[in-house]
Amino acid sequence: MITLKNIEKVYQTKTIETVALHNVNLHIPQGEFVSIMGPSGCGKSTLLNIMGLLDEPTDGLVEIAGTPIGRYKDKELAQLRNQKIGFVFQSYHLINDLSVLDNVELPLLYRNGVSAAETRRLALTALEKVGLSARTKHYPSQLSGGQRQRVAIARALIGQPEIILADEPTGNLDSVMGEEIMNILLQLNKTDGTTIVMVTHDENMAHKTERLIRFFDGQQVSDAKTNAYEFQKV
Amino acid sequence: MIRHLFKLIWNRKRSNFLLMTEIFFCFLVLFAVLSLVVYNVRNYNKPLGFEHEHVWLLTMRPDTDSTSLNRQTLEQILQRAKGFQEIESVALTSSNAPFAFSQMSNNITYGQKKVEANQYEVQDDFDMVMRVKVSKGRWFGPADNASHHDPIVINQALKQQLFGEEEAVGKLIPLNDSTNYQVVGVTDYFRAGSEFEAEQPSFFSRINLQEDPNAFWNEVLIRVKPGMGVAFEEKMVKEFAGTAKGWAMEVATLEKMRQNKAKMAKVPLIALGIICGFLIFNVALGLFGVLWYNISRRNSEIGLRRALGASSGQVYRQFIGEVLVLATFGLLLGVAFAVQFPLLQVFQVESGVYFIALGIAVATIYLLVVGCAFYPSRQAAAIHPAMALHEE
Repeated sequence: MITLKNIEKVYQTKTIETVALHNVNLHIPQGEFVSIMGPSGCGKSTLLNIMGLLDEPTDGLVEIAGTPIGRYKDKELAQLRNQKIGFVFQSYHLINDLSVLDNVELPLLYRNGVSAAETRRLALTALEKVGLSARTKHYPSQLSGGQRQRVAIARALIGQPEIILADEPTGNLDSVMGEEIMNILLQLNKTDGTTIVMVTHDENMAHKTERLIRFFDGQQVSDAKTNAYEFQKV
Repeated sequence: MIRHLFKLIWNRKRSNFLLMTEIFFCFLVLFAVLSLVVYNVRNYNKPLGFEHEHVWLLTMRPDTDSTSLNRQTLEQILQRAKGFQEIESVALTSSNAPFAFSQMSNNITYGQKKVEANQYEVQDDFDMVMRVKVSKGRWFGPADNASHHDPIVINQALKQQLFGEEEAVGKLIPLNDSTNYQVVGVTDYFRAGSEFEAEQPSFFSRINLQEDPNAFWNEVLIRVKPGMGVAFEEKMVKEFAGTAKGWAMEVATLEKMRQNKAKMAKVPLIALGIICGFLIFNVALGLFGVLWYNISRRNSEIGLRRALGASSGQVYRQFIGEVLVLATFGLLLGVAFAVQFPLLQVFQVESGVYFIALGIAVATIYLLVVGCAFYPSRQAAAIHPAMALHEE
C-alpha cells in the first residue's frame, strides 16, 4: 500500500543543513497497522508527512497504492490525499466555528460528485462508528479531548480512505481516553482493513499494533512484528 | 462549498461584525456619492434644448431712474444691435437667462393641477438666438399681438404635469381674473440652469415692448456670427455706450457662464468624491490588514484543509469566497437600506438613478474586497501544508 524507497529529506537554510530522514526504505502492505516510534526530532512526523503527500522527499521514491508519486501537480496530490488518505493529528485540528457534523463533512467538500445529502449520510455513519451520533450539533469547544479526537477520526473515515495516518493520536489524552481512541483505530483496521500508520511515543500503544518501526536521527533502526497484535487478531 | 462558506462566515459573525459594519457604511457612502454622480451624468447627457455657443449676454445698468428715457435708450440699443452685420439675432430676456445665477418661478394652475414652473420672459427672437426647437405648435411672434391671451411656449415637463397625454397647444391657463395664458407651442427640452440640473417644468412668456411702454429689461441675449471675439465685443460695447451714455455694460459669453455653473455643480461632487475615496482607501487598508491577520491566524486550518484534499487553488478560492460572502452580508443590509430611496421616491429623483448607483456601488464593493483579498489569499494558498500543521 505504501512503499518508500531510499527516502532522503534535508531541510536547508542559508546557514544550516538538517538531515531529517536518511535512506529510509519501507513497505507497508494493505491492511497493516504500523506504529512508528522514536525520540523527538528523529523524523517521525516528517516521514508521516511524506507518506501523506504533504511534503516531498529531497530524494527517493514514494508509492501510494502502487502509484509512484513522481512529479504530481499540486491538484493531483490533493486529489490523491482526499481519496486515499485520512489524517488524524495529535492536536485534533478541528475547526472551532463548525459543528461536529460540519467538521466531519469537510473532506467531502473537496471531492466532486458527492451530493450534500450523501455527504450528510456518510458523516452520520462515520460519527456512529466512533460513537458520537449524539454530538452532531455540538461544537469542538463543547467536547472533551477524547471526543474531539473521535470527531477527527470520523473526519478521517468519511472519505473511506485506504490509509489512515495518525500523528500521535493519543498524545494529548489521558490513558483511558487514549485506550478508547486506540480501540477505535484497531477496530477500523480489523473490520475495514484500513492501513494505519501511527506515530506514537507510547510504548503500550505501539505494542498493540501489528508492526513497530523505530527511528533514530532520521534513520530506521528497527522494524519488527509485535506479538500483542497477533494475539488480538487471533 | 458556497453553503459551507456562508455557514463559516455566519458562525464567525461576531469576529466579522466590525468588518461587515465597515463594508455596510462604505457601501452607503459610495451609494450616496454614486447616486449624485449618476444623477449628474444622466442630466449631462440629456439635451439642453438650446445652443449656447456664440451667444453673449449683455447686462445693462442705467444711471437714471427715468423709466421712459431708459426704455427709449433700450430700444435704441436693440436697434443698434440688429444693425451689426456680425450679429445674427438679438432678444431681451428676464434675469434668469441660460446659465445665469438667477431664478424666476410662477405657479401655473390648470383645473385641479397646480405646478410651480420656471418662467422665462423673452422676446420673440429668443428662439432664433438660442435655437430653441418647438416640437409642437409654434414660437410666439408679432402675430400674437392681436390675441386676447398671452401666448406661452411650455416645455415637455410642464406639459406632462399639466395636461398629461392631452394635446397642449391651444389650451388656456388662467393668469389672473382677466387674462389667460394660451399655450402656442411645446419644446421637448429646456434646461437653462445648468447641464447637471434635471429638466424642470418651464414656460416662456412673451416680452412685448409695445404692450407696456414703461417696462424695462436689462439683459439682452445676442447671437453673434462664428469667429466673433474680444475685438467685436469692444466695438459693440463702445457703440452701445455711445448710445447709452453713463450706463454700465457687461458682456459675458454663455460658454463662460456654462463653465461657471458646471464648476458649481462639480465642486460638491469632487469634495464628496475625495471623502468617499478616502473612506474606501481606509476600508481597503482595514480589509487588507484584517485578512492578512486572519490568514496568519488560520495557518493550521489551511494546513488541515490541504491535508484533507484542498489544492492550493481551492484554498485561494476559499479565501476569496469568504471575503465575498462577508461582503454579501454587509451589502445585504446596505442594499435593504438603499433600496428605500427609489421605493419611497426620496428627493424626487428617478428610480433609475438609484438603481444604477446601487448596482455600481455593489460591484465596486465586490471589486474592492476581491482586490484586498487577492494578495493575502495568494499567501494562504502558498502556505506549505506540512509547515502549517506543524505550527499548531
